[in-house]
Amino acid sequence: MNHVNVRPFWQNGLPLKADHSAPARGNYCEVIQPSSLRSQLGANFRQASKINLWLQFILTALTMAAIAVPTVAQQTVVERETARVETLRKISPSIVCVMDPKGQGGGSGVLISADGYAITNYHVTSGCGTFMKCGLSDGKLYDAVIVGIDPTGDIALIQLQGRTDFSFAIPGDSDQVQVGDEVMALGNPFLLASDFTPTVTYGIVSGVRRYQYPANTFLEYTDCIQIDASINPGNSGGPLFDIEGRWIGINGRASFEKRGRVNSGAAYAISVNQIQKFIGHLKCGLIVDHGVAEFTVATSDAGEVTVAQVSALSDAYRRGLRPGTQVLSFAGRLLTSANDFQNVLGIFPEGTRLPLTWRDRDGLHAGTIRLRPLHAFQKAPELPEERRQRPPQDPEQQDSEGHLLDTTADEVPEALQSLFVARDGFCNYYFNEMQRLRVLTALKERMASNGDPKPVWGVTFTSDPGSQLAGELTIAASAVGMNLNNRPFLQSTTDPQIDEESPQLPGLLIAMNQVRRLLSCDVAEFTEQQAAGRTFHLPLKKDVDVLLTREGVRTCRWYFDESSPLPVAVDLEYAQGIDDVRLLFADWADRNGVVFPGRIGLISGIQEDVRWLNIDNVTVNKSAAPEKTKP
Amino acid sequence: MSMCVTRPFKRVCWKALILTLLFASDRCCASQSDFRATAEVLRSQQQTIVKLFGAGGGSLDSYGTGTLVSGDGHVVTVWNHLISTGYLTAITADGRKFSVDVVGTSAEYDLALLKLRSEPGDSFAHIDLTKASNPDPGTPVLAFSNMFHVATGNEPVSLVHGVIAAKIPLEATQGRWTFPLKSPVWLVDAITNNSGAAGGLLTDTAGIPIGLIGREIRHSASRTWVNYAVPLTTLKPVIETLLSGKKLDSTPKDAAAKVPVISDQELTARFGLTMLPNVVERTPAWIDTVAKNSIAAKCGLQRGDLIVLVNDAVITSVTDFQQQIAAFRSGERVALTINRDQQLLPLDLQIP
Repeated sequence: MNHVNVRPFWQNGLPLKADHSAPARGNYCEVIQPSSLRSQLGANFRQASKINLWLQFILTALTMAAIAVPTVAQQTVVERETARVETLRKISPSIVCVMDPKGQGGGSGVLISADGYAITNYHVTSGCGTFMKCGLSDGKLYDAVIVGIDPTGDIALIQLQGRTDFSFAIPGDSDQVQVGDEVMALGNPFLLASDFTPTVTYGIVSGVRRYQYPANTFLEYTDCIQIDASINPGNSGGPLFDIEGRWIGINGRASFEKRGRVNSGAAYAISVNQIQKFIGHLKCGLIVDHGVAEFTVATSDAGEVTVAQVSALSDAYRRGLRPGTQVLSFAGRLLTSANDFQNVLGIFPEGTRLPLTWRDRDGLHAGTIRLRPLHAFQKAPELPEERRQRPPQDPEQQDSEGHLLDTTADEVPEALQSLFVARDGFCNYYFNEMQRLRVLTALKERMASNGDPKPVWGVTFTSDPGSQLAGELTIAASAVGMNLNNRPFLQSTTDPQIDEESPQLPGLLIAMNQVRRLLSCDVAEFTEQQAAGRTFHLPLKKDVDVLLTREGVRTCRWYFDESSPLPVAVDLEYAQGIDDVRLLFADWADRNGVVFPGRIGLISGIQEDVRWLNIDNVTVNKSAAPEKTKP
Repeated sequence: MSMCVTRPFKRVCWKALILTLLFASDRCCASQSDFRATAEVLRSQQQTIVKLFGAGGGSLDSYGTGTLVSGDGHVVTVWNHLISTGYLTAITADGRKFSVDVVGTSAEYDLALLKLRSEPGDSFAHIDLTKASNPDPGTPVLAFSNMFHVATGNEPVSLVHGVIAAKIPLEATQGRWTFPLKSPVWLVDAITNNSGAAGGLLTDTAGIPIGLIGREIRHSASRTWVNYAVPLTTLKPVIETLLSGKKLDSTPKDAAAKVPVISDQELTARFGLTMLPNVVERTPAWIDTVAKNSIAAKCGLQRGDLIVLVNDAVITSVTDFQQQIAAFRSGERVALTINRDQQLLPLDLQIP
């Protein structure tokens, strides 16, 4: 991870070290005009009886120095201003004014890639519909289409059309942001700028890692950045930058109270590090869900975070967490309060596997849990009226906006319409199809050499270390059989049972059944296939693309990295209350015309150890489909 | 060309040199002429702030802010409704929770001194009142408070930045309550007039304490929400008096003594509203009649409604109501809470 330390900022542009221990009395000191200085010196001159040229020279030099030296600080201010202006010049082209097709309302956004992907708030796009009009600082209006949404996190991904060379913002590391940091919020509050020149407001970070409850809605702001820069209606969805111009958040919420819906000095930005964890999912056209850990925590009076309740069917329960267990860290972050736990939980999409450490009577433990769905929205959820973006109240603004946008056609062009496919469970299925086909087409090309799409494979293997286990797998369309240290196991592919698995390698048969289905590259093998975003894989410790397949009650998450069109791992969920079967695939190779991994790792047990199987040989035997008989 | 330097010229040179150095060093300070402060300054200031919790209700907040002024756990805050509730707890920056006693109050300075019920041996980070400075307008300042109750437990309170805009005597009101202090206060351009912010700390960027953030009041003339802080140099002798155990005026002066009242006739003419005749000393604020298409009717008031709250103020009688309403100016919006059929209803009344 690129840790860009944005602090300490006071060392960044200040050549002079200020003594912070002394009272900063009269920080804005009187401005001393060079002319008054000269006249002061001039008065002294007149007292002199004789003016020597040398002296004049010295005095001039000193006077110059007197003028020049004070400008060091001024220079600092000027330099800082120049740098700020330059930064704003660079980042402004990435700012988007997001509007509904009629320009009646909207918010702000920020471009994140040259091909037009832009991030905004869900509560902005939910009022805009499928297609939007987006204004950029070049004064031009672009068509945009909704791609993916994260309703709980109040994030939406849209794609601007018509160019492949959009300017975009460079993300910083929002975990490095500290209270007191200077920040700039850009956007289009009140839809003020009819030429889409972004409005800049400046402030400081008022708090970090704030947790903001979902007030009367499902919108939950976890681990967010609190700022005192002015945030007003229309700023929603717009980016927050640090003073160096790195994108650190999306401004989406503020504490509004007695003044009405205008800035109160307390606004909240969704951190860019959270958003980054969702972008891969959003690009798949999903309604991305947040997760639950299947246990709740409370902060004890002693400041310890302890388990309050835990579901008996959960990963956490199987790892050994019980009410009263002290939870020490979650996703690598030390916990000091229940809010900390909520903060960590809120920044990950559903399905993510996260490390956890805890302490009970037996000592310290570590393990992983996978987040389960929080809302499982099938359709984009409705927001209460007051949370939606409303058209500007000022009739004058409405006129100017209306005038500007009346020239654009109300009908959506066909080319744009083709970028949207409605489907239950998806925000925009068009994008899912695109991502899914990208993965599957590459896989299919790689598997083309396999020839017969429905072969029967014979696979012999030995286990590491010491080769205590030796076995032979027979993988066919109807059943998967295994001879393990001369003990037979057999499982039908249509109705696999848990008790048919071997105790030494639990879940291997059912997983091989799924592997065969995937590698056959036949869509009919699954009831459903979808691109399911991007995640950080444990224990591989790298970002991977996720392909989700369903077949009956069996859900597989196949993980792909950039290096190969073949999966690097799979998690198979096949029954409630039982751990996923988790396999790692390594050293893929062609053997006897079959593309198969050279090594398969089986992650098993409470300790989550990886047991590696070396694949010794793979053969193709069309006639040797195993009979379905009980061993 | 002579190289000699005569004495008067030497003096001139020295003066110039001194001036040069003087201005140079003075300008060094100007490099601090923004809000930026070190992480150490922010951290140490955060330690001196406590989150207060009491009883609220309606639009009265149940939370606030206090600033530690002694190692024994004395806390100063604004003497607002929170202090009067009787049951008060405080959470220090490290997340420890304490019951709180009110040691003393000063109505004149709108100040309350509290004491955390600490264990023997407990000590607290606190501001040093003797170091409180009295900066000029234009000085960059930082405001620490638990506005909007954003921070809980051991989370650091919120920080906002601004500059001192003016130092002036403040004429401001909250309902019929008038800001009592006659000496100047600081107006700041940071938004400090927020729920729960009163009693927070204003410092300069070097962390020197300078003021106590004031309460949620409006300026008498402009009716805008005033962001102000009372100078700690003004409060220091009062705090010291209270710390020494002396009691100042323990009951607030009767602010209602000469409060304007809106008459029955005016109430009918302007609002279309008639109250139950004020026959006993504390006739409840029952509504007798509401004229059709009047302001009162548009607001949703009905015959038989009992007015319970006007904004934050509890209405105990018809007179009380007439006094409260008189405090508002034309065009202002007032949040009424009424009791109708045993149910509390919020209504929005615009003063005609």
